[in-house]
Amino acid sequence: MDTHAAYKSRWLPWVLLAPTFVILLVFLYYPTFETFILSLYRVAFFGLSKQFVGFGNYKEIFTNPEYLQIFWNTAIFAFLVVLLSMSVGLGLSVLANQKIRGRGFYRLMLIWPYALSPAVAGVIFLFLFNEQSGIVNYLLGITLGITPNWLTDPVLAMALLIFVAVWKNVGYNVVFYIAGLQNLPGEVLEAALIDGATPWQRFWKITFPLLGPMTIFLLIMNTIYAFFDAFAFVDLLTKGGPSNATNLLIYNIYRDGFEYYKTGLAAAQSVILFVAVVILTIIQLRFGESRTHYGG
Amino acid sequence: MKRLATVIGLSALLGFAFAAEKVQITFWHAFGGGRKAFIERAVEDFNFMHPGIEVKVEYKGSYRDTLNAAILAAKQGNAPHIVQIFEVGSQMAIDSGIFVPIEDYVPADLKFQLDDYIKPVANYYRIGGKFNSIPWNSSNPILYYNKDIFKKAGLDPENPPKTFGEVMKACEQIEATKAAPKCITWPLHSWFVEQWIAEQGALLANNENGRAARATNVYIDSEAMKRIVTWWKDLYDKGYYAYSGKPEDWDGANQLFVSQQAAMEITSTSDVTFMQTASYENGFELGTGFLPVPDGIERNGTVVGGASLWLTKGHPQKEQEAALTFLLWFTNTENMVRWHKGTGYFPVLNTSVKVLEWQNWFERNPAYRAAFDQLLQSKANRATQGALIGPFPEIRTIIENMIQEVFQGKDIDKALKDADAKADKALQQYNASVGK
Repeated sequence: MDTHAAYKSRWLPWVLLAPTFVILLVFLYYPTFETFILSLYRVAFFGLSKQFVGFGNYKEIFTNPEYLQIFWNTAIFAFLVVLLSMSVGLGLSVLANQKIRGRGFYRLMLIWPYALSPAVAGVIFLFLFNEQSGIVNYLLGITLGITPNWLTDPVLAMALLIFVAVWKNVGYNVVFYIAGLQNLPGEVLEAALIDGATPWQRFWKITFPLLGPMTIFLLIMNTIYAFFDAFAFVDLLTKGGPSNATNLLIYNIYRDGFEYYKTGLAAAQSVILFVAVVILTIIQLRFGESRTHYGG
Repeated sequence: MKRLATVIGLSALLGFAFAAEKVQITFWHAFGGGRKAFIERAVEDFNFMHPGIEVKVEYKGSYRDTLNAAILAAKQGNAPHIVQIFEVGSQMAIDSGIFVPIEDYVPADLKFQLDDYIKPVANYYRIGGKFNSIPWNSSNPILYYNKDIFKKAGLDPENPPKTFGEVMKACEQIEATKAAPKCITWPLHSWFVEQWIAEQGALLANNENGRAARATNVYIDSEAMKRIVTWWKDLYDKGYYAYSGKPEDWDGANQLFVSQQAAMEITSTSDVTFMQTASYENGFELGTGFLPVPDGIERNGTVVGGASLWLTKGHPQKEQEAALTFLLWFTNTENMVRWHKGTGYFPVLNTSVKVLEWQNWFERNPAYRAAFDQLLQSKANRATQGALIGPFPEIRTIIENMIQEVFQGKDIDKALKDADAKADKALQQYNASVGK
């Protein structure tokens, strides 16, 4: 065993790692731990008064139809956002990966939305889809004679929210998929071409499986995005309305915690969100390991 | 010129010399934009006139953000001295226990200022018989209307609708003559609902609106509420009422009115100054009128909306006195006159009203008149005193969600009943969390 040769002292590695641990401990593990503890209390005014209620907050959340609706909203939102932003991202990457004129320009344009902050994107879409004075309804009105109630109809509001979230994140997926596509082993695809495989077959039998590791990585990143980054869109576009139809867990945590001062309930929801994302990530990794071809 | 420079230089030097002994006071508020600049100018004036005190003023975001920040700061032991808190946060502020009941600390020779508040304002902010905070920005909802569109529609531009029924009729005429794409707008905000409840002389919570004792029951499932929601839904279904689709979107409603897409808007009196400028810029004639009320009821009056200034606990006596000096100066007769002219918020002192009357201000600025008359004609009772409910911000969301559900076709009776149950539960949880 010679693997420790670089460090003469047994303590040196720990000393070198200490700064990282301290930062993790103070800014990550301690707050997480505190959140778990807080979720067992009924807290008023950010902790000016506290009462232990055991799992009372969790019971409240899992029995209140309003919270169940929020879970349901979050699940639909996350599922569709992940599915759409990844499939659209993959489709666009394949197109942008062709050797055509101006592909640099196309790629740049595809990635652009990702560079906007969610707040800016939210405001832009708020202007575009304003029911009375937005350009979208103006154009629809003069061409088709319809002016949909984008923000007052529950289904349309959710659809718009999903659309914005997908629009915003497609660029991220395009960046990674294009990188993945460019690293594919050319000889395999060439062999398939010689054997007479159709483009459709080449994509599904070769390209897609080879992109497996990238897909798993993006699946996890997109899931996290859908759960945690939707806040700005909800806050700017709908504020959870109409009547909770677009209220997502991450927005409700903020609301309960900072607008209604129900810190304990908000902490319990954070724990639920945390557990849900951990479980999803584990499933995705497991599933990925058995199905993914890592090459080499 | 040279002499002036010397004087300035000397006073600057003197300023430095005294700087060390100045009492530092922090003041947090929730006004952005033009109002923020207005406040900063006033604070500068104060600091200039009171060499021993230096007030530092900070804009902390929305009303809710400001209250959050103050509670967090108090928890960490460095609360700002003065905090602006919205009216519906009053019960919460008392429950938080981080503020002092201000009336107990006002020096005897300045007590007269507390007796000078106009009645509706004193009624709102006197909680349990005394002022817990200094009333500052106060407003009501009024009707703003576009006189040009009224003329086009053949309506009397000097006689805006006064009741729900008259609004409906005006809307029919505006629709029929195609004078404007939409008839009326206001933000989908619970504040208007609260006002219409008060106009009908009804209460929003038990124990006399939470004024006689802590409220334990919110009244959403009521006749008064049903009248409001039924009319609102009718306006919405017929396409007369427009809103941006987002709850509590004040700017969205203003935009619809100012861009002349809606003939009328109901919004706060604090926008009078903004509306006058905007109507001038957009080339239409602005009219103002009282808040329309349900037909067949006697107009009971509106509740004072806005915010007041609170003094936090636990500062050395010297700082507390300095903070009070600032507070009483900031809301004195002259400053209230300036504040009213600069924003449209009410001059909340009787003496400042007298100054404005002496200046013929209301005759020269009729738009401000409607706002103020409506306030003065409000009857003083529990309904217009306004409800004190701990979790008021949450109750507001419940009411706003209920209205959106009704728009989507939910049965009104059922919607009111469900919202009532939710509100009661929220109140119970809140009361339990503060140990009451």
